[in-house]
Amino acid sequence: MSTREIFDGRLQAALLLVPTVLVSVVFLYYPTARAFRTSFFKAGFGRAEEFVGLENYATLLTNSSYHSSVALSVLFAALVVAGVIVVSLYVTFLIHEVDSGQDWYLISVIWPYALPPAVAALVFLFVLHPTLGVLTGPIEAVGIDLDWFNDGPQAFVVVVLAAIWKQIGYNVIFMIAAMNNVPNALTETAEIDGVGRFRRLVSVYVPIMTPTLFFLVIINTIYAFFGTFAFVDLLTSGGPSNATNILIFDLYREAFSYFNFGVASTKSVVLFLVVAVLMVIQFRLTEEYSYYGA
Amino acid sequence: MTDTIQYAKRRFEAVKRSIVGDRDEESTLLAGREGNAGVHLQLWFLVTLVVFPIFIAVVVSTKQQGIVTSLPDLIPGTYAVENYREAIVDYGFGRFMWNSLLMSVVVVVGKLVISVLAAVAIVYYRVPYKDLVFLFVLFTLLLPVPIRFVPLFQLINDLGWGNSLLAITVPYLASATTVFILRQHFLSIPTSIVETAKLDGVGPVAFTLRVLIPMSRGVLVGVSIIMFVYAWNQYLWPLVIIDSEANQVAQVGLQLLQGDVQGGQLSWSLVMAGSVLTLLPPLALMILFRKPLLETFAIQQK
Repeated sequence: MSTREIFDGRLQAALLLVPTVLVSVVFLYYPTARAFRTSFFKAGFGRAEEFVGLENYATLLTNSSYHSSVALSVLFAALVVAGVIVVSLYVTFLIHEVDSGQDWYLISVIWPYALPPAVAALVFLFVLHPTLGVLTGPIEAVGIDLDWFNDGPQAFVVVVLAAIWKQIGYNVIFMIAAMNNVPNALTETAEIDGVGRFRRLVSVYVPIMTPTLFFLVIINTIYAFFGTFAFVDLLTSGGPSNATNILIFDLYREAFSYFNFGVASTKSVVLFLVVAVLMVIQFRLTEEYSYYGA
Repeated sequence: MTDTIQYAKRRFEAVKRSIVGDRDEESTLLAGREGNAGVHLQLWFLVTLVVFPIFIAVVVSTKQQGIVTSLPDLIPGTYAVENYREAIVDYGFGRFMWNSLLMSVVVVVGKLVISVLAAVAIVYYRVPYKDLVFLFVLFTLLLPVPIRFVPLFQLINDLGWGNSLLAITVPYLASATTVFILRQHFLSIPTSIVETAKLDGVGPVAFTLRVLIPMSRGVLVGVSIIMFVYAWNQYLWPLVIIDSEANQVAQVGLQLLQGDVQGGQLSWSLVMAGSVLTLLPPLALMILFRKPLLETFAIQQK
C-alpha cells in the first residue's frame, strides 16, 4: 500500500505542530473567547469590569442606530459584491475572448490585488474631492452636484466604488482560471450553433463557473464586511450623519472612541456570527455544486 | 443539403471533443472569432478606468501644489524628486516604510517556517488526531482580526507588547490559509517519490530540506507573495496598537499625512507621493512573481 505517512515519531509531530497551535490558541482562540466573555460585562479603560448579564445584547436589540448600521452594512455588502462580480466577470470574459495582448490586459486589471485599501481610499478622496478632484469638473458638467462631504447617499456611493475598485483584481485572478478551464470544444459547439458572444458567457460559461462564483461571492461578502475599514476611516469617518457607518467602523468607534469594551465585544460577537453563517453557506454550496468543478 | 451534412459532421466532432476533453484548439478557434477590434476597445476603456486613479496619483506626486482640477492639469510636473524627498525625509515616510517592511518580512518568514512545519506533520506523519489538529487550524478562518481586535488589544497590552514590533507580527504568525495551501501541494507530490525517500532511509529534516522544499519552490514563492501583500496592507490593527510615530507603519502613516493636509500644513502632492511609495513594494512583488502567485491561487481554490 502506498502512503505519504512515512514518519511516525509522535513527539516530533507534536513539536512540529506546537508553534502554529500555540499562536492560534493564544492570539486567535483566546481573544475570541474573551470577546464572548466581555460581552456580558460592562468594561472600559481603567474601570473594574461589572457583570451585566444580557444587558449589552438587549442594548443592541433596542438601539435604532445599531439597526441602521446593520441595514447599511447589508446594503453595502450587496452593492459591493454585485458590482465586483459583474465588472470582474465582464473584464474576464473580454480577456478570454481577445485575440492578442492577453497577458498585458490581464496584468493591467489584476494589479489592484496588491493595492493597499488605505492607498485606494486616499487616491479616491483626491480624485473625487468636491473642490479639488480631477473628475469633479466632468461629473458636475453632467449635471450631478458633487457634494459627498455633506451628502450621505453620495458618500455611500463613493465608498462603494472605491471598495469595488480594489477588489476587481482578486476576482479576475480566480475567474480567468475558471473560464480557461471551460473545454474549448464546448465553446466551439456553441459557436457552430450560432450562439452569440454574450449569450455564450451567460448560458455556457457562467453555469460551468458556478463553484468559483460562489466562492468569490462569499470571499467578497467577507471583504465587504471586514476588509473595508480603511475606506470608511479615510474617506468619510462613518459620516456624514452615519451614512457610511458600517458595522466594522461602528465597532471600532465603540471600542476606541467611546471605550465601551463591553458593548464593543457584543458587537464583535455579532460580527463573528456573520462570518460563521457565511462560512457555513459556502461549505454547503461547495458540497452541493462540487461535481461541476471535478 | 451538403451544408447540413457538413454541419452535422462538425457538430459531431465538437461534441466528441467535449467528451474527450481536448483543449488544444486555441488557434483555429480564435481565427473564427469576429469583432476583435470591439473587444480591444472595450478592454482599453476598462483598463483605463482601473488604472486612472493611480495614474492621477503619480502625476500629482510630481507637481508643486498638487492641484489638478481639470484634465489639462495632468501634465507631469517637475517636483518629483523634491516631493518624494520631502515625504521620505521631512515627514518620516522613510521610517514608516521601514517599519512596514520589517513587519512584513518578519510575518512572511515566521509564517512560512511554522506553516511548513505544521504541514509536514499533517501530511507525512502517521500520528493520531492530526486531522483534528488540521481542523482546529482551519477553523481560525472564522476568526479574522476585525472580530477580535478589541480583546487582542487588551491581551497585547497585558503582555506589555503595546507599540512594538512583536504586537504587529506575532498575532499574524498562525495561518490557516498557508497551512492549507502547503498541505494541498504536499498531497500532490507523487507517493512514489516519498516512498523512495523512505527506502533510502532519509530522515524528516533531510526529507524536508532536500526533497520537499526543492519540489515546492513555486508554491513557497506564491504563498510568500500572498502573505507579504496581506501583511503590508494591514491598516486596522497597527492603527489600534501602535501609538508612536516612530513605530508606525506606512498604511497608518498615510493617515497622518492626510491629517496634515486637512490641517493646511501640507499639499496633496506629498500625500500622493506617500501613496505611490506605499503601493510600490506589494505591486512590484506581484508583477515580478505573478506566475507562481497565480499558480498558488489555483491551488487555494481546490
